[in-house]
Amino acid sequence: MTDTVQAGRRKFFDLARPSRQHFLGYILIAPAVLMVAAIIVWPLILAIDLSFQQVKIPRLGGASRPFSLSNYTWLFSSQEFWLACWVTLKLVVVVTAGSVAVGLSTALLVNNKFRGRTVARLGMALPWAVPEIIAVVIFAWMFDTSFGLFGWLAIQLGFADQMIPWVSSSTAAFWAVAITMVWKGFPFVSIMCLAGLQSIPSDYYAAAKVDGASVFQRFRWITMPLLMPVLGVTLVLTLLWVFRDFSIIKVLTGGGPLRSTQTLSIMTYDQAFQYHNFGRAAAVGVLTLVICIIASLLMLGRRSKSIY
Amino acid sequence: MRRTFLQSLALYATVIFTLVIILFPVYWLIVTALSTTNELYRLPPTFWPTDPQWNIFAKVWAAKPILMWLWNSMLAAVGSVALSMLVSVSAGYALSRYSMRGGASMGLFVLTAKMLPATLLVIPLFSIFSSFGLIGSLWTLVLAHSTMIIPFATWMLKGYFDTIPKELEQAAMVDGCSPIGAMVRVVLPIATPGLAATALYAFVLSWADYAYARTFLVNSPDNWTANLGITTMQGEYVTYWNDISAASVFIALPIIAIYLFLERYLVGGLTAGAEK
Repeated sequence: MTDTVQAGRRKFFDLARPSRQHFLGYILIAPAVLMVAAIIVWPLILAIDLSFQQVKIPRLGGASRPFSLSNYTWLFSSQEFWLACWVTLKLVVVVTAGSVAVGLSTALLVNNKFRGRTVARLGMALPWAVPEIIAVVIFAWMFDTSFGLFGWLAIQLGFADQMIPWVSSSTAAFWAVAITMVWKGFPFVSIMCLAGLQSIPSDYYAAAKVDGASVFQRFRWITMPLLMPVLGVTLVLTLLWVFRDFSIIKVLTGGGPLRSTQTLSIMTYDQAFQYHNFGRAAAVGVLTLVICIIASLLMLGRRSKSIY
Repeated sequence: MRRTFLQSLALYATVIFTLVIILFPVYWLIVTALSTTNELYRLPPTFWPTDPQWNIFAKVWAAKPILMWLWNSMLAAVGSVALSMLVSVSAGYALSRYSMRGGASMGLFVLTAKMLPATLLVIPLFSIFSSFGLIGSLWTLVLAHSTMIIPFATWMLKGYFDTIPKELEQAAMVDGCSPIGAMVRVVLPIATPGLAATALYAFVLSWADYAYARTFLVNSPDNWTANLGITTMQGEYVTYWNDISAASVFIALPIIAIYLFLERYLVGGLTAGAEK
């Protein structure tokens, strides 16, 4: 009697049975789904909900305010938001272009075969391993208004006739942020491009050489087309990083002077934690997310799968 | 084709020149740490201090709770990596081995999660953590960093599991292993390099965080992480650049060491999925 019951039980819990296999799959994935629901999906829903309420500091479980579009109408009519959009766009274009230019050229450089290239590769991508905050400490000192290296260098090279006020001049502050971000961002492009370059079979180059293709032609007709998929994904990932970065700008300039380095990310954070306008902050954040999604879908199109 | 002597020379010159420019900021950090205050506030700048102040490291170590900051960063990173790996390994395995309803749309979800700005998520997380009384505790970071780690780790691990042939587990199950046993005893040992790469990359992600630490921990100095601690050394009016540079060296060192010695794994994590 007990034997049959046990046998029956064993059969019921026998997860190796093909009909139970999908069941095991759901059990295995359940913890991750629950975690993601609790710490990503639920907060995201709260944030979207918050963006439609006129609320200063939200309290969980507190009475929810009536649905209102006031945060969005305030945003679209405020100069600050459009300025933040413009600053973000400028920074995204400058930093992405700079990172791709430096990253691609360093990748091409260390893709050559030479002695010591392992060390050279490690060195080229080292800034990737420097935490953003430390990078900011280094560059903040190099961009110091009175004794910074860059100001002195600019005078020596004849670009300026006196020290540049990096923190108080809008243009200078923007470039200080951009240069720091390129230094921190290009190694990622370099690492990705190098991996892409390495996967191009060397036979292609050998064949092209036999046909008498020049170095430039080989780059234009072999390297570029084969590198394009990797480069496209890298470009979008870099772009998303600039879009959402907080620490570099916050610590280097704090978004100033006169909001000249205030990106959408910084505006989101300051609206919430400096001015305690959580509703408005959530609205800026939600719009940033929407812009990010649209931009990357547009850029990647049907290749968007490769970004995962 | 062999290079001529001149071509080699040009190549080496270019490589060295580029390396010098790229690595100069790191060199400058060390020079700044070793310089005396007098040397720092002088133009033209000193490119190598006449009397390197090696004791600055001991001085800063004693003056600031750097060890505590590093320890807190370590706790947050280990905690979030452990928690995330625990759920991501089994989820990645399930996505790789079982066809499930909604499994295909996981990719789209990961993509969206990747674009989620921390500055947006920090707002609802702040209200949630305050109502649970968690503000000021390192648990906030463990959970907040998991929001960055779980989506990419699950997807990355799925990719690693996809490269391991299914026949291995089938053979193990024929020999009497349970499905869980086959996963734990057969697949996971083979996937160790992939697990290591994912965990390492996740660790670096957690270590780099500043936004969450600043928001949740700013009022509890005992729980400050390394990144948050270092920014408090930046004075409102006067910053002691040699002190802050010396402290920065301590804080950058762990990740740079990981990078230099385990670069292969880290890069594997970075480029996974891009070479498809």
